[in-house]
Amino acid sequence: MTDGLVQTLDGNTFVVSDPQGDIEASFTEPTGLFSYDTRFLSTWALTVDGRRLTMLSTDDLEYYETRFFLVAAPSSVYVDAKQSVIRQRTVCDGLHERLTVLNHQEQPVDLAIRVEAAADFADLFEIKDNLAKKGKYYTRVDDGRLLLGYERETFRRETMISTTAPAQVDEHGLSFDVRLQPHGKWTTELHVTPASPGVGGRSLMPKPSRGATAPTKMRGDLEKWIGRAPRLECDWESLQATYRRSLVDLAALRFSPVLAGGNSLPAAGLPWFMTMFGRDSILTSLQALPFAPELAATTLRVLGDWQGRCVDDFRDEDPGRILHEMRYGELTAFEERPQSPYYGTADATPLYVVLLDEYERWTGDADLVRQFELEARAALGWIDEYADLMGNGYIAYQPREPETGLENQCWKDSWDSISYHDGRLPGFPRATCELQGYAYDAKKRGARLAREIWNDPEYADRLDADADACKRRFNQDYWISDRQHYALALDADGSQVDALASNNGHLLWSGIVDDDKAGAVVGHLLGRALFSGWGVRTLAQGEARFNPVGYHVGTVWPFDNSFIAWGLRRYGYKEEAARLAAGMLDAAEFFEGRLPEAFAGYDRALTRYPVQYPTACSPQAWSTGTPLLLLRTMLGLEPLGDHLVVDPALPVGIGRIELLDIPGRWGHIDAFGRGRVEVASRPRLRRQLGDPVREKSKFV
Amino acid sequence: MATPTEEFFDELGRRGHEPRLERITATVRFNITDGGHASHWRVEIDKGDLHVTRGSGKSCCGICADRALFDGIVTGEVNAIAAMLRGALSVDGDRETWVVVQRLLPGPCSHRRRPFVTQNAVGERS
Repeated sequence: MTDGLVQTLDGNTFVVSDPQGDIEASFTEPTGLFSYDTRFLSTWALTVDGRRLTMLSTDDLEYYETRFFLVAAPSSVYVDAKQSVIRQRTVCDGLHERLTVLNHQEQPVDLAIRVEAAADFADLFEIKDNLAKKGKYYTRVDDGRLLLGYERETFRRETMISTTAPAQVDEHGLSFDVRLQPHGKWTTELHVTPASPGVGGRSLMPKPSRGATAPTKMRGDLEKWIGRAPRLECDWESLQATYRRSLVDLAALRFSPVLAGGNSLPAAGLPWFMTMFGRDSILTSLQALPFAPELAATTLRVLGDWQGRCVDDFRDEDPGRILHEMRYGELTAFEERPQSPYYGTADATPLYVVLLDEYERWTGDADLVRQFELEARAALGWIDEYADLMGNGYIAYQPREPETGLENQCWKDSWDSISYHDGRLPGFPRATCELQGYAYDAKKRGARLAREIWNDPEYADRLDADADACKRRFNQDYWISDRQHYALALDADGSQVDALASNNGHLLWSGIVDDDKAGAVVGHLLGRALFSGWGVRTLAQGEARFNPVGYHVGTVWPFDNSFIAWGLRRYGYKEEAARLAAGMLDAAEFFEGRLPEAFAGYDRALTRYPVQYPTACSPQAWSTGTPLLLLRTMLGLEPLGDHLVVDPALPVGIGRIELLDIPGRWGHIDAFGRGRVEVASRPRLRRQLGDPVREKSKFV
Repeated sequence: MATPTEEFFDELGRRGHEPRLERITATVRFNITDGGHASHWRVEIDKGDLHVTRGSGKSCCGICADRALFDGIVTGEVNAIAAMLRGALSVDGDRETWVVVQRLLPGPCSHRRRPFVTQNAVGERS
C-alpha cells in the first residue's frame, strides 16, 4: 500500500484515507470507503473557509477508530493556528465521523465548513484492472440527507449521508455555516451508511447487528477477544508487543460473510482481499488454533456449507472442491468475474481435511467432525476423482476458463512462480509438490477421523493405504537425487520442474518426506541459497528466475516460514525451527509487530533490516497468524490424546516465556520455556534474538 | 404445461430424502412472482427428509424471485448467488440455510451453463 495512508476497518467494511482523513480517490487507487468489495465513497474532503486542513497528528485508537488532529492554517512555525479540528472516525457498518471545531481566539468567528462527498461505486476489481462503469449514477437530496446511488438493471448500491447538526445539503456535499464564540466549540456527527437494496428494497446484506452503541460494543468485543486468548509473559518485550499486535489484527480481520449466520472467520488481508478465501482462512485458522480455536470452527462450517456441488467450468467448480474466493461486487454479480464463488484452488480441499482433524485434536469437538463427515469425505473424494488431471495419482491444476480462471492454483499464484531451474515455465497441468504433501496429510488425518469418529475402519484402512502408496511414489517421482531436494512440480509430461523453492518446507509439515531425505531438505532450507537470515526465501538464489523483490520468486513470506518451522519440528529439527522463529520475530520488531505479507529476500547481512515488498497487503491474515504459530513451534506444543505436550526450544535472547491458559480438550494448560538455542549472530541495528548479552543482564 | 419451477418442486416432493441436507432442520419458503401473480412453496427439511407443500407460512428462511429467473435457476442456467448479488433474488432470514439448500438445485453443468450476459452496457452519469 502507498505510504502515509490511514486505514480504519471493521471486517469487510473499511476506509483508506490520507493522513488528514480526506479521500480523493482516483479510479486506480484503493482509497475510499469500501464495503462488500464496492467503493461507497470516493470523495470525502473537509474544508474550512474553502481551505483544506493541515494534519498535526493521526492516532489509530483501535483498528476501527482513528482520530485526526488538524488545524485550519498552513503548517508554519511562525503562524499559530486560530482554529483546530478533531476528526474522530469510527468504522462500524459504515463510516461515522465526529467533527469538533475549536476556536482558540478571543473573538467570535464565522466559519464555512464543508464536506465534499461523492461515490463512484467502483468494484475493487475495476480499480485493480482500471475498468469503466456500465450503469447509471443518481443523486437525491432528501430531508437534510444526501443519497448517492448507482444502478445497473436490478443491481443497486447506495450511500446515505446524514448529519446531526443542521446543514445545507446539495448533490456534492454538506455545508455548515458556523459561528464560534471566543474559545468556543462546535460539533457534529456525520454518518455514511452503505446499502445494497435487493428485491422490493430489502437489503441484500444482513442487517447490522450492533446498532447505535456500536463503538462501545466493539471495544467490549475486542477486550473479550484478547481476554479469551492465552496470556503471554515474556522477558523479550518485542515478542509481547508482536503477540498483542497479532491478536488485535486478527480481531480486525475477522469478518462475517453474508451467508454465514453471523459467525466470523479470517478475511485474507487489507485492502484487496477483505473477503473469504478458502486457503487463507484455513491456514490462518491452523496458525491460530492454540489461541482462538473458534476461528477454525467457523471456517470449517462456512467452507463446508459452500463446498462445490457440480462441474462448472466458469467457476472451476467440482463436487467436493473447497472454494477459493467469494466476492460481492458488480463484476461478480454480472458474471464478468467468476467469484460467486470461484473454486480455482488446488490446495484448499485437502487442507480442509487437515484443519478438521487438527481442530478436533486440539478442541475435542467431535460433534463438528460428525456433522461435516459428508463434506470431509467429498473433499477426500475430490483428490482422487477430480484433481488427478494427468491420471498419475497426483493433484494437478489447470484453469478451465483461461481468461478468468487462475493460472497457478497453489499459494504461489503469480504467473511466474513455478519454473524450472533454467527459468522456463512449464505447461499445464502442473502438479506442484506441496499439493501432494497436503493430499498425503489429508488422507492420513481422514483415516484417523474415519477410525476414531466416523466409525468406518474400512474407509480408514483404504485412506491409510492410499496415503502410504502416495508417499512411496512421491519420494521416487519428485526427488532429484543429484540436487538432493524435491522438484517444485511435475509438468504435463510427468517430468520434474527442478527449481529449489521453499515448498520443500511444506513437505516436512505434511510428513510426506522420507526420513532419510529430511536431513538434506533441512540443509537446503537453512542453507545460503534459501535462508536469508530473516527467513526462507520463496525461491532459492541461483535459480534463473530468482529475484529478491519478486513476489513469489525470492521474497520471504512470513506465513510460509511459520509452516516450515512447524515442519522442522515435525521431523525433530528443533534448533533449526528456533532459528527460523528468531529471524522472523526479529523482523517483526522492525515492522512494529505487524509482519507484512512478504518482504524482500536480500541477505540479512546486506540490509541489516527487512525491506518491505512494495505492494504487500498489511495487515494480512496469515502474516498476522505467523507469530502465533511460531509461539507454538518454539514451545513445542502438540496435542496428544487429552494432553498437551510442551517441548520448548527457544532462541537465546528471548529469555523466559510463559504462555498461560492455552485452551483445548484438556481445559486450560500453561506452557513455560527458556531461550537456550544459539542462533547465528550477525551485524545488527539493535539487540536481537540470538544476543546472549540480553539474557545475561536479565538473569545473572 | 408445468413450468420448470413447478416441476422442480414436484420432483423435490417426490425425492423424500436428501443425504446432503442431513445436517439441516429448517423450513424454507419460496415466493415466486409472475407478473401480478405469486406462487408459494414451503420446503420442510428434517435432517434431510424433505416435505414440500404449496402455500406460505412460518419459515426460518425466505427466498423471493421472479418466475423466469427461478426457472433459470432450477434448470441450472442461472447462478443463484450472482442473481442475489444483482438484486434479482432476495433472501430473508437465515442465510446459512439458503447456502446449504442450494444443494437441492441442479448444478450448472458446464456444457449447458453460460455466464450471465448483461443487456445494457452503456456507462453514463445522470
